[in-house]
Amino acid sequence: MSNFSAAFKKSTSAGRPAFMPFLVAGDPDYNTGLAMFKAIVPYADMLEIGFPYSDPLADGPTIQAADERALRSGIDTDKVFSLISEIRSFFKGPISVLVYANLVYQYGIDNFYKQAAKSGIDGVLIPDVPHEESELFVKAAKKHKVSPVFMITQTTTDARLKKILQQAEGYLYLVSVLGVTGSRGSLGKETFDFIKRVKKQTTLPLALGFGISSKEHIDNAAKAGIDGVIVGSAIIKILEANLSNPVQAAKETEAFIKELV
Amino acid sequence: MKNKERKGYFGDFGGQYVPETLMSPLEELEKAYLKLSKDTRFKKEVSYWLTNFVGRPTPLYYAKQLTAKTGGAKIYLKREDLTHTGAHKINNALGQALLAKHMGKKRLIAETGAGQHGVATATVAAALGMECIVYMGSVDIERQQPNVQRMKLLGAQVVPVNAGSKTLKDAINEAIRDWVTNIKSSHYLIGSVLGPHPYPTIVRDFQKIIGEEARKQIKQQEGRLPDYLVACVGGGSNSIGLFYDFLKEKKIKIIGVEAGGISIKSGKHAARFAGGRPGILHGTFSYVLQDKYGQITETHSISAGLDYPSIGPEHADLYRSKLVEYTHVTDEEALKAFMLLARTEGIIPALESSHAVAHAVKMAKKLPKNEIIIVNLSGRGDKDLAQAIYHIEKMKL
Repeated sequence: MSNFSAAFKKSTSAGRPAFMPFLVAGDPDYNTGLAMFKAIVPYADMLEIGFPYSDPLADGPTIQAADERALRSGIDTDKVFSLISEIRSFFKGPISVLVYANLVYQYGIDNFYKQAAKSGIDGVLIPDVPHEESELFVKAAKKHKVSPVFMITQTTTDARLKKILQQAEGYLYLVSVLGVTGSRGSLGKETFDFIKRVKKQTTLPLALGFGISSKEHIDNAAKAGIDGVIVGSAIIKILEANLSNPVQAAKETEAFIKELV
Repeated sequence: MKNKERKGYFGDFGGQYVPETLMSPLEELEKAYLKLSKDTRFKKEVSYWLTNFVGRPTPLYYAKQLTAKTGGAKIYLKREDLTHTGAHKINNALGQALLAKHMGKKRLIAETGAGQHGVATATVAAALGMECIVYMGSVDIERQQPNVQRMKLLGAQVVPVNAGSKTLKDAINEAIRDWVTNIKSSHYLIGSVLGPHPYPTIVRDFQKIIGEEARKQIKQQEGRLPDYLVACVGGGSNSIGLFYDFLKEKKIKIIGVEAGGISIKSGKHAARFAGGRPGILHGTFSYVLQDKYGQITETHSISAGLDYPSIGPEHADLYRSKLVEYTHVTDEEALKAFMLLARTEGIIPALESSHAVAHAVKMAKKLPKNEIIIVNLSGRGDKDLAQAIYHIEKMKL
């Protein structure tokens, strides 16, 4: 059983969706970022970690600002891998990374997945590589036994979904809304219809991301059949508001997460 | 990136590196374009607007005094600066806006660097009764004020982008984010031969009229085809527009001019072939200016329209196959050409086009008098006056 299916099984049998917090690696710098991960792992079933990128076009302003902070502090692809190796020493659940295509390509596609596997990464999601362009990436992922994770959106037709399902492993990342990452007020009926539609067509666990920021979002998504939730911008906003006081940031993040899970 | 079974590639370059949300709208766009581009009524409609609104065909003008002053090959200027709104950008903006209208879209999203594409889009939006929102880097807003005022007057909403380098690259990120959020109502009217398939093909098809006209005009005026074609290359739409119809002519030497900025050595430039390598940006695989890890680097050019870290994928293929030669011209050389054309011909060129003029003059000097160079004068320089005069005084040119 893969690390992912074991973790999803565990949360499902506990009667709740798996909780998957997202942070940008090295935001605002390597050590503060590491401390943030230490603060959140006691509540996390899985982790999603972003590689900071200069042009994150699928992300909203909060994650974009986090990427800029991390890059300014000198984070690069090698440092992200070593940060994840460190996280691996105190976190046993699955780790998924979100990384833009050019960073993977420039590292050498095969080399990237090799290094990912070595650092203890279980899944790689590339938001700007749709299944049509994914051949070389998926090949390398399978070779190094890393799950290729794909996004599904409300605009994904059933025909496309079928093709994506032939390549996807680990879980499916369901994008809750049309748009970019960032917390939102409420999730509409179309989000829940969307979860139900995808649920009918696959046995892969479904994790919902983009705009998830409250207990109410999570409970409603769980009712629609979601297996996991990804919360990113809402957490990063807390960090952003407490940049001068990392201890406070960790404390407030913990308090926020306790309300969610 | 070898991916031969996939559509939308020019050799190794191109593709569709976009978030999943955009794949369905891209498919919808491709289908609509394939259908309409063969539709006689649609073609007539585009042609009506090009003639009566844009003012095509634009003249091919023999720059007699510039030629005499240079003392070499004959220099002809393809006068895209004489189109309505003052640059070639309107050819594409008009075509895509009509396409969007047929697709039932009511809102046009555009990015702009120099502001010419933003102005063109705002103009056709006004003429066709569509809503228009333009994303523009705050650095570009600063250096292209007249165009910002024009867009606003035309009823467009201009949104400043403060992220990253605050230039064209960041405006494109923001335009894509808007599109992802509003795909049902909106068409993303990209301004150059960039972005995911089918954009590089659509934009090129709407711009290739430049070369088609130039071919007829030079035959009328000189009774033969030219020996050289020269155009500046930012994203690459005016250049591919001039070049495309001539690519099969093996005897014609075709040259694209990138922005050499301060110098290549200083790193302050936007010459993708001189300083970049293949990578992925804004949905396409092409040459990109980037660091070792693939973070996109900041570019520099005096001309906002050339200040972009990537280049259209078809140009990457033309570069690799050596069908087109790419070179670069510095800020200073472009400024000198800006002044030279104003004084010898009474034409104030855009700073973008000044790069092409600068290279053509350099070449012409060494060529025999019976050879012919066609330069794409892609736009007029009114928008650049404040910037250009500031730098001319600063550099004591």
